[in-house]
Amino acid sequence: MKKFYKINLVLASAGLLTVGVAGSALAFHSGGVANCAGCHSMHSPAELGTYLLIGSDTSSTCLGCHENAGDTVPDSYHISTADADMVVGQGPLQRSPGGDFGWLKKDYSWEVDGVAYTEDGDRHGHNIVAIDLGYTEDATNATSPGGSFLAGDLQCNSCHDAHGKYRRLADGTVATSGAPIIGSGSYADSAVPAVGQAVGVYRLLAGNDYTTDSFATAGAFYTGVPAAVAPATYNQSEATNQVRVAYGAQTAGGVNRWGTWCASCHADMHSSYSYTHPVDWPLAEIADLYNAYVSSGIMTGIVDTAFLSLVPFAQNSGAFATLAANASNTDSALTGPGTGDEVMCLSCHRAHASGFSNMLRWNNDSEFMVENGFYTGVDGALAMGRTEAEFQAAYYDRPATDFAAFQRDLCNKCHAQD
Amino acid sequence: MANCNGKKYSSALVLNLMVILCCLSPVLGEGQFTESYLYSLSNFSGLLPYNWPTLAIDEERHEAFVIYQNDVVIFNDSGMEVYRFGDDMDLGHVLAADAGQGDDILLLTYKEGRSLLWRCNYRGEPLAEIALAGLPAQFSDFTPNRLIYRDGQIYLASQNQMQIVICAGDGTFIEGFDLFEVCGIDEEKRGNINFSGFSLDKEGNILFTIPTLFKANILSRNGMVRSFGKSGGAPGRFNIVAGMVADSHGNYLVADKLKCAIIVFDQDLKFIKEFGYRGPKPGNMIGPSDLAIDKKDRIYVSQGRGKGVSVFRLEYRDSAAHGDSLGKLSQIKGGMNRV
Repeated sequence: MKKFYKINLVLASAGLLTVGVAGSALAFHSGGVANCAGCHSMHSPAELGTYLLIGSDTSSTCLGCHENAGDTVPDSYHISTADADMVVGQGPLQRSPGGDFGWLKKDYSWEVDGVAYTEDGDRHGHNIVAIDLGYTEDATNATSPGGSFLAGDLQCNSCHDAHGKYRRLADGTVATSGAPIIGSGSYADSAVPAVGQAVGVYRLLAGNDYTTDSFATAGAFYTGVPAAVAPATYNQSEATNQVRVAYGAQTAGGVNRWGTWCASCHADMHSSYSYTHPVDWPLAEIADLYNAYVSSGIMTGIVDTAFLSLVPFAQNSGAFATLAANASNTDSALTGPGTGDEVMCLSCHRAHASGFSNMLRWNNDSEFMVENGFYTGVDGALAMGRTEAEFQAAYYDRPATDFAAFQRDLCNKCHAQD
Repeated sequence: MANCNGKKYSSALVLNLMVILCCLSPVLGEGQFTESYLYSLSNFSGLLPYNWPTLAIDEERHEAFVIYQNDVVIFNDSGMEVYRFGDDMDLGHVLAADAGQGDDILLLTYKEGRSLLWRCNYRGEPLAEIALAGLPAQFSDFTPNRLIYRDGQIYLASQNQMQIVICAGDGTFIEGFDLFEVCGIDEEKRGNINFSGFSLDKEGNILFTIPTLFKANILSRNGMVRSFGKSGGAPGRFNIVAGMVADSHGNYLVADKLKCAIIVFDQDLKFIKEFGYRGPKPGNMIGPSDLAIDKKDRIYVSQGRGKGVSVFRLEYRDSAAHGDSLGKLSQIKGGMNRV
């Protein structure tokens, strides 16, 4: 029988047998503007839409590719779990560093001592409006907290320049022209642009003078693109290995710090403008606490293995090579911060969405993350309506045993009060 | 002048000849292929507002399977829900289902990091797990999310791993395809590529699309792949393609999620027409994704924004090449009409 079994791996002959595919394999964005027809239609755009877009709105157009019904595991550039794959008691599927927008559709309710509590899904992230995908305007905030960006205008292109005009030139500066973009600049293995070349900025993020109609209304503006480098594979379970995006801190040449960038829409939340938790601020003596902290009550850690992707920090550098050295999905770069490295908004929040209120990376609303060795399931105040599986998904599949048997929240990674 | 006239005459001759040839061509033109909206899958409360469910067809019983949020919902020949199962997580997250041998239903689930294949009875109660056996090393971490049963063989696909495995009814490996290799996709580009759609045509060729490459593909069992499609908004061009099926006449129908249309090509891969388009009318579509087609050439279209699953009847004004006299509609009536 065995002789009838075969593996049809077409190797050397693939080129001969393939019609029209070979050689055409290019990433869609490739660091810059994508194929125009991927998003716009000259003659058959969406009725009542804008900009000849094919989707009902900008985000629906983006998620046409970045969400895929039928996924079973975290999958590359997918950043939202389709309704069809959202199962009661289970978390969304994607594990990208920004988080899965599917958490926005997870409403929770629970009862403690006869008192009913609810937590609406829209508390879990940036409420992008993507009508085709079931994402609707933030029902709680009419404008961006700490700012005046209208909630109803929040789209993917509020943060990402869909046309990818911002580019990193050979000298490391960021501009919207000056050289053609040769590919993505987001990854540790991205090409290094030679003189006369450029690569895209991290995640096509928006930079200086970026504007849309919504920004004009809000009076918000970016003053530079923040620096970061991701490993080539970034959307994965962290049950075994963490995904480390190496965030940077630089304020020159079209680059700005992460907190300043977020403050374009959340100005009053930035510590430079109001009395809030510091951001874009050196860790100083906090770095020692971060490096020593292992888990609640355990302060025996060392700097070489101190990094925790649930509490990332910004390196005090914007240099691509420096950041690329620490971008890893294999636990090959777990070095903790130095005193000059900085705390940023993303140290505590995910950029898209998380399993917890205020898009925090951990559950800050309970006394314990882990109780007696287990994620706190279903009943009681600590569970807050969630199942163990949902907690584990929100912690990117880490087993509860990665934490202390009675693990308190991760503010303590920097503050060590537990 | 004589030369000039001669040129004119010869041009006219060629033109006439081309027109005659076109008329004789077996290829279906737009006017020869029509579609009409029949209904949307419903229960007694009305249309079921699914968002992009996965579809399968039980050709034997003219039933449609909808897989959605861990439910397998079965619809009869008239598009009414008749049964559902699978809403608990005992078997894991239900990914796909198809009619198996006899009364069996095959179920593909995902639990604790593994895909599991089950043989169930007609109620969806598990009878036995079908363990994949003899998988070569290349497929050792194969984690399928799509399933088709055809003629005693089980076709499994992992859309994000770009792999297809065909096995016998007992799970014994028969054949495997690494679509990265088959399609000649460069190693460094593979992280951003997966495939969409997964169906068989009547010859047993495997149909799938690669959205980010704007390509639809027909993979034969000998490993040859025919790939077609160009990006663009014009009729016949692709924006973001998804599901793909073949009808009984050998035409290929490709769903375009962003264009909100089904794009039809004949068996020579020539564009015939598009239909659907975004809008609120019953025959319009919102983000058509998965497709399924039954033996009556009724096409099931999975959509977003709560539009559920729309069913269209395809009709053909046959040319001589199809054996019927011109002008006769060959469509087997679907919808409420049982045969």
